[in-house]
Amino acid sequence: MQFFYQPIMMLEALLNQYNSSGATWDEMHDGETIREQYNKIFSILNNLDVNSLQQKEKIANELFMNQGITFTVYSDDTGIERIFPFDIIPRVITSKEWETIASGIQQRLKALNLFLKDIYSQQNILKDKIIPAELIASCPHYIRDAYGINVIHDIYIHVSGVDLIRSDAGEFFVLEDNLRTPSGVSYMLENREVTKRVFPDLFASNHVRKINHYPLLLHDILLSLAPGHISTPTAVLLTPGVFNSAYYEHSFLARQMGIPLVEGRDLVIDNHKVYMKTTGGLEEVHVIYRRVDDEFLDPLVFRQDSILGIAGLMSVYKKGNVAIVNAVGTGVADDKAVYSYVPEMIRYYLNEEPIISNVPTYQLANEEVRQYVFNNIENLVIKQTNQSGGYGMIMGNKISEKDWIEAKKKIAAEARNYIAQPIINLSTVPCFIDGTFQPRHVDLRPYALYGPNGIQIVPGGLTRVALKEGSLVVNSSQGGGSKDTWIIDDYLNDQDAE
Amino acid sequence: MLSRIADSLFWLNRYIERSDILLRLVYVHYILSLDKSENGNNNWRLVLELGTGIWSDQLEAIENNTPLVMKKILIDPGNSNSIKAIVMKARENARGAQDHITKEVWESVNQMYHQVNQPALTSKLRTDQAIKVVEGLARSCVMFAGVTDNTMSRGLGWNFMQLGKFIERCLQTIAITNKQLEKNGFGEDANDILQWRYLLFSLSGYELHLKTYRSHDHIGNVLHQVILNESFTRSVIYSLIRIDHYLENIRIIHEDQDKSLPRVFGRMFSKVRYLDLQTMNPNSTQAFLNEIRLDLLSFGNQLGQYYFSYS
Repeated sequence: MQFFYQPIMMLEALLNQYNSSGATWDEMHDGETIREQYNKIFSILNNLDVNSLQQKEKIANELFMNQGITFTVYSDDTGIERIFPFDIIPRVITSKEWETIASGIQQRLKALNLFLKDIYSQQNILKDKIIPAELIASCPHYIRDAYGINVIHDIYIHVSGVDLIRSDAGEFFVLEDNLRTPSGVSYMLENREVTKRVFPDLFASNHVRKINHYPLLLHDILLSLAPGHISTPTAVLLTPGVFNSAYYEHSFLARQMGIPLVEGRDLVIDNHKVYMKTTGGLEEVHVIYRRVDDEFLDPLVFRQDSILGIAGLMSVYKKGNVAIVNAVGTGVADDKAVYSYVPEMIRYYLNEEPIISNVPTYQLANEEVRQYVFNNIENLVIKQTNQSGGYGMIMGNKISEKDWIEAKKKIAAEARNYIAQPIINLSTVPCFIDGTFQPRHVDLRPYALYGPNGIQIVPGGLTRVALKEGSLVVNSSQGGGSKDTWIIDDYLNDQDAE
Repeated sequence: MLSRIADSLFWLNRYIERSDILLRLVYVHYILSLDKSENGNNNWRLVLELGTGIWSDQLEAIENNTPLVMKKILIDPGNSNSIKAIVMKARENARGAQDHITKEVWESVNQMYHQVNQPALTSKLRTDQAIKVVEGLARSCVMFAGVTDNTMSRGLGWNFMQLGKFIERCLQTIAITNKQLEKNGFGEDANDILQWRYLLFSLSGYELHLKTYRSHDHIGNVLHQVILNESFTRSVIYSLIRIDHYLENIRIIHEDQDKSLPRVFGRMFSKVRYLDLQTMNPNSTQAFLNEIRLDLLSFGNQLGQYYFSYS
């Protein structure tokens, strides 16, 4: 047992175990030494042995399980509850890196919001031929019924999550904009709470910026959107129901904001107003934070078989008697084919250069480009423009000859629905796996809130981890997990002060 | 409060109360089944009749087989009233109303859910671990009641939860008492306190009984306790007093002037309140309890139509 009381031995043991590959950007280890932002975490971990770290891991898992922060996996007709895998070692981002991220996302959302306003009214960007009109016309998420609707404060994307990745050189890129109903923010908040429980001493020594005011910010924005001058507006969160995989998040947010969590069947339209059915009769609703996709919102306008929505909602929305968050029709701006035009939008609407770059994207609708992609497939990944969650992705370096021949036919037939991007080796961070520290690839999804007072981004985000060794796919549906993400303030200054 | 939420909270508490009573019943019978009595070993017939919907020919096959009974009552997927099924329904309701219950209440329901879903449960029930499982679950029910009491705000939600709890409790007390009346018969033996101990233990009222009643009219005493004793928390009248209280609270919060629901309840309440036990025999008591049960079920339906109709 003497061994456990020798911190230096532990440090060496931990360091020796950690092998980051030289080709990718490791956020903790620069190939020779530990980066400074990780120093304090390491000095505390040094005083722990593997057993107590495993014990902490167990406690964290139990916390998630007991709180019901789970998703359901169905097999043999019985649902099995699993927790979303959580790695206990926090990921650290410096405040300097964060400034770039935050200003980059703000710039991007500002442009995207202007784009949405434009595309649902004047359509100048199409007239000026910055974006080809056929690209918008063929986009399934462009909602014709939303054309001409005046949204309150001209804000469309109140809630968004922009996925960022880091290249081999450590530079951040935008991989994807999620502007419809991005999920995962409850994991960001719960990961932090759990980390506080298992590593209270780590928080004391690192200056970690707080994120727990997110629900309050969101609540303020929701209330500010109420139509007319109502002193006590009613905002609700609309969920598809308990069987939705993100239901935990819906109830979490409703509880944190103190607003009713409603299902479509709880709401009814009467005389161009939305009401909820309560034990004391009907009560008017002014703001709906919906976690239901556009196509299910109103069976009279969109899918007729939808039982998740409210018949007549769109007509109330058009009249301006209810605010819907995010606005109807934002999906056109996060279409993967429209994505490649975002840098152009930034230049067109803001007259600025993008702070964070896009990953280079090939539109397969163009035949020449398609041929180039087909010839260089081993370095590329092909994605469907209307899919998310890692579904329908083709990793060019992994696909078999036979599957590729099949896929090529499919792509050529519906080229508009596909894009290609170079395979980027996502940066790695240390994860505690099977009693050792191992590098795993990660991305980052910060959550932004857009209200009448501008865009606010809580300092942090959801770090998603590809838990399989060497895997680059971080989606939870494909074996991904998550980590707490820390934005720490000037660690250097702090050291000087000591 | 949303009608759907009120409905879910009402049923959440009904289900937990039901599993609480059922677990208590199982626990008492497990312990007592170890006692040899003059009539031979006590079998599980009464519990099976109350807790499952199985036919009498199947009853005979398993009524003396404790491990099988435990499986049937606790986890058997063929038994729609198994503890597992009840707890899962309770959790489903809690999930639907998650933003209206406190985090603590949710965690205590969720913990029960994991208790009944643990993979080792089936094998534990075959061994002498079974009673530990029952004990653990019963404790969780008590915890739920305590956590609810300590953390829930006294708004509409609380009142609907309590309504569910006491309607269920009243129905269960009536069901168990009637079963016991049926089992003990009305002959000479029927006045033997040993026969009634099961009932009193199952309702956690044995100690109160010993302290309160001194005469040898055991049937009369027991029936008085389970129907009319206002300080006995599982008596019919106690449950009705509480239902009356919570119903009134809900009406006050809603500023409701409509008298239809209190009228239905008041009629039933009066029947119990002005009952003269002296004029009753076990036979007429059984009929009376049945009448109250039907009244209560019909009241429950009207309550649902009045407050919960949302789809």
